[in-house]
Amino acid sequence: MARIIGGIGTSHVPTIGVAYDKGRQAEPAWAPLFDGYKPVARWLQQQAPDVLLMFYNDHANSFFFDLYPTFALGVAPSFEVADEGAGLRPLPRIQGHAELAIHLAECLVNDEFDLATFQDRALDHGCHSPLPLLWSDKPEWPGAIVPVAINVLQYPLPTALRCYKLGQALRRAVLSFPEDLRVAVVGTGGLSHQVHGERSGFNNTEWDLRFLDLLEHDPMALTRMTHADYVRLGGAEGAEVIMWLAMRGALGPQITKLHQNYYLATTTAMAVALFEELAA
Amino acid sequence: MNPQLHGIEDLEGTYLFDLRASSRALRLNRLFWSLAQPAVRAEFLRNEEGLYQRFALSEQECDLTRRRDWLGLVRYGANFFVLEKFARVLKKTNLEVYAEMRSESFEDFMKTRQVPDAR
Repeated sequence: MARIIGGIGTSHVPTIGVAYDKGRQAEPAWAPLFDGYKPVARWLQQQAPDVLLMFYNDHANSFFFDLYPTFALGVAPSFEVADEGAGLRPLPRIQGHAELAIHLAECLVNDEFDLATFQDRALDHGCHSPLPLLWSDKPEWPGAIVPVAINVLQYPLPTALRCYKLGQALRRAVLSFPEDLRVAVVGTGGLSHQVHGERSGFNNTEWDLRFLDLLEHDPMALTRMTHADYVRLGGAEGAEVIMWLAMRGALGPQITKLHQNYYLATTTAMAVALFEELAA
Repeated sequence: MNPQLHGIEDLEGTYLFDLRASSRALRLNRLFWSLAQPAVRAEFLRNEEGLYQRFALSEQECDLTRRRDWLGLVRYGANFFVLEKFARVLKKTNLEVYAEMRSESFEDFMKTRQVPDAR
């Protein structure tokens, strides 16, 4: 049977990808970010998951507002990198896991989560910004991805509670997959930032650290917050941290945090956190 | 009113992109979205006005776009994630766009950042 071996929360700011591609890992302005991912990359290497189940959002690259799905699951055998208008990043195509993804879709729809599915849609920086910091992309990615896109762009967004429940439903679905697969769950986005309006550049480190603590110890408190609460505390685009709640929902009730890194350089607080489940 | 957004109107300098904005600004956002394609980028640089016509922009949308009025575009209903594709065509960084939306010079804006040389 498939099992969930742990969870990762990570920012997905595009500048991480730019800094990676330009080889800035050791520069003083960037080392505090890249060094903070090393324990997570080591854990992934040791634990060797077959699949990353990854919650992300498409930034109007593969989906446009004429049809923008609330939840969409990628069921293709492989996924391209999206060209977001600045040219293609030098990353290999990543494998999907069609059998697992189709099983998840069947389970979720029967569990009353009527999500959309997609095949020929490239994955943008929502997935690809943190991916090479987690997994080595050379010569090929060491495993497969099952992407789950969440609408955090066009209101009405799914509620924080709904994202948490999506994670719970996916957990049930993963655990019922007959093949022995090791699955790690990844929630992406955040932390505090705002990229539009006069309030652009807003950050709130105090809130970010409280969020990281609540995610581990009291996720239900986070599910009771409204989008307006998230926008007020973490900036308009920082509200996308509800995708971390989907990851949290896919883990068991008791978890422990093995590692956390937090770095705020310019406009987006960049964080990574690694969780394992505690035995019941 | 979306109950999840109760109280949001008290927050200054924030213009959440909802279905009302999306519906109002669909053609404008489609133009910016299309700038991810090299051919449309080239066409923009060659014949900006022609592209406005092809995407059937209103006079107000043309005016905001012509003037590179970032804040005005956001207030009107442009979504930032397509607007940044427009910024790429104009060789502007997101940081420069944030500074303009705050009515600050780029240098002054970067002084407010914790690691100003992280680019």
